[in-house]
Amino acid sequence: MCRHYGGGVAMAANTYDAIVIGSGMSGGWAAKELTEKGMQTLVLEAGRSIVPEVDYVEHVPPWGVKFRGLRDRKAESINRPIQSQIGDEWNAKFFVDDKENPYTTDSDKPYLFLRGRHVGGRSVMWGRQTYRLSDLDFEANLKEGLGVDWPIRYKDIEPWYNYVEDFIGVSGQAEGLPHLPDSKFLPPMEMNCAELAVKEAIAGKFPDGRMMTIGRVAILTESHRGRAACHYCGPCQRGCITRSYFSSVNSTLPAAQETGKLTLRPFSVVHSLIFDSKTRKITGVRVIDGQTREAMEFHARIVFLCASTLESARILLNSTTPEFPNGLANSSGELGHNLMDHIFKGGATGTIPGHEDHIQMGNRPNGIYVPRFRNIKQKHPAFLRGYGFQGGGHREGWERGSDMPGFGVDFKNMLKNPGPWRFNFTGFGECLPNHDNHLEIDKNKVDAWGIPALKINCQWRPNELAIYKDMSVTAAEMLEAAGAKDIVASTAQSLPGEGIHEMGSARMGRDPKTSVLNEHNQAHDVKNLFVTDGSCMVSSACVNPSLTYMALTARACDYAVGKMKRGEL
Amino acid sequence: MERREVLKLLASAAVLPALTPDAFSMFRSIHAGLAEAPGLKALNSHQDATVTIIAELILPQTDTPGAKAAKVNEFIDLILAEWYDDATTARFLAGLADVDQRSEKLFGKQFVDCTNAQQLQLMKVLDDEAAVARKQQATAEAISRKPAIAPLNFFGMMKKLTLLGYYTSQVGFEVELHKSIIPSSHAGCVAITGVA
Repeated sequence: MCRHYGGGVAMAANTYDAIVIGSGMSGGWAAKELTEKGMQTLVLEAGRSIVPEVDYVEHVPPWGVKFRGLRDRKAESINRPIQSQIGDEWNAKFFVDDKENPYTTDSDKPYLFLRGRHVGGRSVMWGRQTYRLSDLDFEANLKEGLGVDWPIRYKDIEPWYNYVEDFIGVSGQAEGLPHLPDSKFLPPMEMNCAELAVKEAIAGKFPDGRMMTIGRVAILTESHRGRAACHYCGPCQRGCITRSYFSSVNSTLPAAQETGKLTLRPFSVVHSLIFDSKTRKITGVRVIDGQTREAMEFHARIVFLCASTLESARILLNSTTPEFPNGLANSSGELGHNLMDHIFKGGATGTIPGHEDHIQMGNRPNGIYVPRFRNIKQKHPAFLRGYGFQGGGHREGWERGSDMPGFGVDFKNMLKNPGPWRFNFTGFGECLPNHDNHLEIDKNKVDAWGIPALKINCQWRPNELAIYKDMSVTAAEMLEAAGAKDIVASTAQSLPGEGIHEMGSARMGRDPKTSVLNEHNQAHDVKNLFVTDGSCMVSSACVNPSLTYMALTARACDYAVGKMKRGEL
Repeated sequence: MERREVLKLLASAAVLPALTPDAFSMFRSIHAGLAEAPGLKALNSHQDATVTIIAELILPQTDTPGAKAAKVNEFIDLILAEWYDDATTARFLAGLADVDQRSEKLFGKQFVDCTNAQQLQLMKVLDDEAAVARKQQATAEAISRKPAIAPLNFFGMMKKLTLLGYYTSQVGFEVELHKSIIPSSHAGCVAITGVA
């Protein structure tokens, strides 16, 4: 499945109905939707193929990796100083070589661009947390006069959330919260003993409505559309041979392959888009073969750009023409601007006394979720928007022994049994759109394929910093309410990019003068160009964004193919 | 610098931050001359024997295998050769030499030649010192926010590597902890009786 040049039959040499750039979360959905609607579709993926039977390593035991999980520290400090901050010894191969894929920042504005380049992109290693945005999010910019107004509302995307969830499978607990709409859920995963205790302790305790639910997660708790239920081995980020979590490799790309209309081309590094100034449309894509370095062109009637927030912006910024000297589809000047990422890490940890005669069985690949509670009932004096908490409870394992006195028989027998219940809350907060957080092309830096690299300019600003402060306080309050001991509040901050939820670099909007894309993710300036990855986001909300990218992609495909079939595109 | 002086220097953990590149390379060459343990890259046979005994005293064979059966010494050798930076490896080996110095002073023989009771007596001292050092290091790192790649105290390093090497081995994972990669069942909150 998903191998070189599979399936599709090109109409003329290198010519297709549609080209999708990128094969991850968004590109996989574009491939599925376009092929299922009859389009001969070429998917260009910059990196290698992923063959699950060979590449997935979720069942490799700790003694099967050289450093038992400590990673290859010395080699990584040379070749992968940035990507070594994410993933583990098993799945490090799913993240890029930093030397081949450079980017720059000012020295006082560090940014972590953490990513993979292979079929499936980051959908192979993602966190799988799956939440809907609500009108609290879609209306926020307009109400507060920040950025631009989202050109859509919840009613516009709701059917597409349903459509996507029905295909990918989302497990979770319906809670009926207006600001965190329920998905179409498969049965929820179970909370463990500490989580049940904390949930009960929080319920009804706080006037701002704090509550705890099980994480909503794109993992199957029962078999679904030919994919097996989760077997609770735990490390989904290393792959899943039973395809129980959603990734494009596990789900959307096989569906696209089944139509016979998909051509998937790995090792296809997109340089830029080819613009025809007469028709004011794209005629194709310039590609550099990742292995041979050969330059080539592919042509199509429409292009879906799904290369990720930073890479999609980079491709457009590198696609300059006399009409668009500052980047294709950039008459607004907003391309590359308004970069956002979720702030995270602030929170608290503690020990939950008791329950020591109970344990959790299996390795549940999911945690808990505390939905946003700030600026819902009451305006917060220090900041706009809000944050949610992820985290959960677990019993300490043998690792605790390194920090304890003792050795010998008693020590060994003590470590055989689990230790106390620990609990952690980690906040994920909204980042406001800011024109000054932006991407540009660094004219002095190219990647391994000779393509100009990005310079990233992004920093947290007063609203984000105020949210950080609040996260540690409210997390500790909840642990206190649960009777936790040894509570440690953390004011740690993530670097921009570290949340791996980058978005906003080609925002949607109603006005072509202030936005890059319209309400259908179609470029205002170039009608056969659609950008449906995180670039399109107008605000970041505080929930994990992948579900929204998928829903917007499916929605844009429906619009684009409808227009093509009516001869309007 | 004479070999004896280098060993003396290495045995004194206090001067290690001042270990010069010159002294270090000399240490390496001396060490290379001693390396005779087959298959090991950092430990010579005497060091390997000492590490093997200390690891087994930390996690001994009981009704389940101990650190020796899990080949924790080979894991520690790998970390010393390929994971620690040179200064940290030197610190570990100096700490190991210091164990012999102490046992010579206390009992007039090297650690491996001591009785089990003598070994346990010295281990208790080392473990108590490691506990103090652990607290000092945690305090310092909370201020500097620059955690070291390993405990600064030798016995702290030794204990951490022994636990990691043992519980991530097949013996430790399957026999000691009764874990399996694919769990036989899953549930959120169950009483331990009835699980066994």
